[in-house]
Amino acid sequence: MLKYTVKRLAYSVLILFFVMFIIYVLMYNMPSGYVETKARELASRPGATKSYAEWLADLNAQYGMDKGVVGGYFVWLGNAVRGNWGDSWAWTIPVTQVFHNTVWYSFALGFVSFIFEVMIAIPLGIVAARKQYSFTDYFTTVVAMVCISMPTFFVATVLKYVFSVKLGWFDLSGMQGRNYMALSDFGKFLDVARHFVLPLVTLVIISIGGLMRYTRTNMLEVLSADYIRTARAKGVPEKTVINRHAFRNTFIPLVTMLGGTLPGLFSGALITETLFSIRGIGYASYTSMTQADIPFIMFYLAFISILTLLGNLISDLLYAAVDPRVRLS
Amino acid sequence: MSNYNLNEVLKRRKAEAPQKNSNGDVKLDDLSRVKVLSPGRQVFKRFIRNRLAVFGSVMLILMFLFSFLGPLFYPYGQKQIFYKYEPRNVDYGMVKENTAYTGLDVSDGARIERSVNNKMNSIIKGMAGEDDYIMGEEQGYRVHRLAEDVYLASASEMEAVCELGESQVSVGTYSLVGKKLTFDGEAVEGLEAAAADAIAKNAKGGSFELDGVTYTYARGKAKSYAISATSDGLRYVGEALDAGFEAALNAAAEGGASGFEYDGAAYVLTGDEDSVTALRMTDPQPARVYSRLTVSTYEVGQEVSDEMLRQALLATAGDGAFEAEGQSWTLAAEEGGWVVRGADGAEFMELTPFSVRRYNGDDTMEYGLKKALTEKALEMAAADAREGVITYDLPMQTETGEYVTDEAGNVSCQETELKLTRSQTGEYVVNCEQVIYVINMFDAPSRQHPLGTDGDGFDVLARIMYGGRVSLMVGFVVVFLETFLGVIMGGLSGYYGGWVDMLIMRLVDIFYCLPYMPIMIIIGALMDALRMDTYIRLIVMMAALGIMGWASVARLVRGQILTLREQEFMVATEATGIRVRDRIFHHLVPNIMPQLIVQATMGMGGVILTESTLSFLGLGVKHPLATWGTIINSVSSASAMQHYAFIWIPVGLLICVTVIAFNFVGDGLRDAYDPKAKR
Repeated sequence: MLKYTVKRLAYSVLILFFVMFIIYVLMYNMPSGYVETKARELASRPGATKSYAEWLADLNAQYGMDKGVVGGYFVWLGNAVRGNWGDSWAWTIPVTQVFHNTVWYSFALGFVSFIFEVMIAIPLGIVAARKQYSFTDYFTTVVAMVCISMPTFFVATVLKYVFSVKLGWFDLSGMQGRNYMALSDFGKFLDVARHFVLPLVTLVIISIGGLMRYTRTNMLEVLSADYIRTARAKGVPEKTVINRHAFRNTFIPLVTMLGGTLPGLFSGALITETLFSIRGIGYASYTSMTQADIPFIMFYLAFISILTLLGNLISDLLYAAVDPRVRLS
Repeated sequence: MSNYNLNEVLKRRKAEAPQKNSNGDVKLDDLSRVKVLSPGRQVFKRFIRNRLAVFGSVMLILMFLFSFLGPLFYPYGQKQIFYKYEPRNVDYGMVKENTAYTGLDVSDGARIERSVNNKMNSIIKGMAGEDDYIMGEEQGYRVHRLAEDVYLASASEMEAVCELGESQVSVGTYSLVGKKLTFDGEAVEGLEAAAADAIAKNAKGGSFELDGVTYTYARGKAKSYAISATSDGLRYVGEALDAGFEAALNAAAEGGASGFEYDGAAYVLTGDEDSVTALRMTDPQPARVYSRLTVSTYEVGQEVSDEMLRQALLATAGDGAFEAEGQSWTLAAEEGGWVVRGADGAEFMELTPFSVRRYNGDDTMEYGLKKALTEKALEMAAADAREGVITYDLPMQTETGEYVTDEAGNVSCQETELKLTRSQTGEYVVNCEQVIYVINMFDAPSRQHPLGTDGDGFDVLARIMYGGRVSLMVGFVVVFLETFLGVIMGGLSGYYGGWVDMLIMRLVDIFYCLPYMPIMIIIGALMDALRMDTYIRLIVMMAALGIMGWASVARLVRGQILTLREQEFMVATEATGIRVRDRIFHHLVPNIMPQLIVQATMGMGGVILTESTLSFLGLGVKHPLATWGTIINSVSSASAMQHYAFIWIPVGLLICVTVIAFNFVGDGLRDAYDPKAKR
């Protein structure tokens, strides 16, 4: 197990190296980016001692962009490994500072929606599997399919239209109400929570379908297993069959999958946060992406890639941990 | 048994056959009883038994018909802009009292120098009497009031006539050496003694009086004094004129006038308070006529030449008759202005200080309307009202903005309310309802536009059809691309194994790890920065989506091939020496076709979702090319969302229905291909 983990980690580092290289190549080719703008700004300042071309060369050297794609990548990598991520160009504060300012909002959003998702999707999936081909089953299947098929922006727009425009219950976007500053600490918390409701509902709606289907499929498979037939044959009450024998076994793939998604809670919901102007890491990265903010994007994408790899690893390890029949090699 | 004949046996059986069937005696293995279906038919039968899958298929077929055949039957294109005629409250025209005087040259010879011409407007406005005189740098001018609001400026060479007022005249020089006064002109009696007295009293300089004349003396060089007399009388430059002139001059000078007229000649006075110089205009010529009157003809659109206007203005002073354009005209003062009539007595035009004109620049306002507006403006000015309303027959417009004419070809009229509003600058702005031609923006659904029009005046239904084409096409191309790449990579990896497998699988890992959406957003921003053409953007986006998506197909193909490789038929292909390429693509790949088809169908929905999301964010396909995402994006602002729900709700539902249909069909296909497969 330890050997397997170490091997997987080594692979992950290798994969990360190439993933970041591909991303760096993309970012490197971003035309008329920050460096040119900054050089122009510095050169046109009163009392500027260097011309635009000189500033450009200077700044490029500073960001390691004069050494070509490969050289520049190694400069970035060297800095990144030492924990020196640089300053965000779009936010003009250190990248890690931006991260600290935003990631917890994203985590709160992701975590709460994760809990709701689990609480809603798993019971529904089990009910649908228990009564296969019943109305409940069809209904659940169709709802799950509809949820999977809806584009995030459409869900968000419909929710905004109904709850913000028509009913006026929530603000259209943003994280704070108009009189936020006048509120007490608890009031501030409630205000922000209120602004999180619609994004939360959006996230739950679009992610609930997949888990529901997954639960149903796995439950169906377990229910058709021999030991369930045995249990029924020996007269175990149906309730016990479902709750004890079947559900526990369904849990194996569920835990594996959910464990794999845990790191993703930190990665932020790019589209949802952007649509609702939630100042989470997804929204910050979207803003940075459209402004060619290389340091922050490189940091964010490295972060996401690490989370993805970590998720895969956790998922595989959990699989072995939960199910003793599985041996990792 | 000896005469057993096979042919006879067969004949007998044939003869028995209908008999047996009619008896209903059917054996278990009878061909008519066991209906054998081909594998394809079996899959199809299982597929159509799934209601959701059939629903999905029907929706997809409808969607394809709608997107690809719909535009053929729908009359509008995706980039066709619609206009409409709409009654709107427009700025119809304005009424303004002219305050500035504009000049019109009278003769070719006489000119008014520019500096004088420039200030003529204020000179005329400041004029109290009938005449005013101006001395320019080169010439002198006389401005004469011909009639109210009409002034004629004449120019002339000038000749100095006389000086009036205090002036110093040198009398002579007194020398201390000889105690003698040398006179410049004729000698004055007793002056020498008086000067000697005064100098003895005060040697520095001073003044003394003699016979009522004040003399001043100032010390000059070589002990001599210059003596001058101060006079405040009249001195002629040339020959003296009579007493009547002097009286007129004195009267004008005391009254502060700038000139006067005497005995048929005009005189201009210049100078300061103390002394005035009179200059005679030697040869006055009329140079320019100034007026603040504007022309409005009785018939709409008549041209009035400068020559005619000039003659008319000049005629305001006389009996009103003048000749112009080979005709004779008469001019008469009437209330509010001057009316010019032709020889037959018909009114031709009017000169008024009010200018009334259309905002669009055409002179299409008829005389009666101008008159009515002017009167209303005057009335409002008298009452100091800011707003006023008149009703007038304006040319009637149809719904399409054209003028209505009756059988005789005359324009039909319609009573229209005209609203006058006084602006800050004293003009009266006239508003009224007019039918004008505008882009038909955000039109609500109607018979012509079943889903209305969007913010650019495009028909939404047409946009949705063409948008559906792009969205579906993107889905197909991307899925084809990723399947193609995935089959090749996965096939190679699964078949060869070893280091090829290792390499390709690590590549798959890398592509799995690449964050999909951020990369697409970065590519979108990159294309924005490069200002790429929208069609090239479409191609780049499809290529990027395809390249990002092949990894999962490759993994699927590899997994399938790993299991198939061990089966007997693959051993057989090896034994019969079939080429490797054929083994992979003729024997392995067809066996994984079901999974590939399912994967591709499900993938189509995903690609359509991604494309519409990107387009919604403005990073995918761009205006004016329509896709479902861009249509929603165009009304995503809060107010547009609220008011134009008829645009975004149908499009959003269409996206949902298409993706759902693809997923249902994919699900159905999977179940049909392999009923026992784990979902």
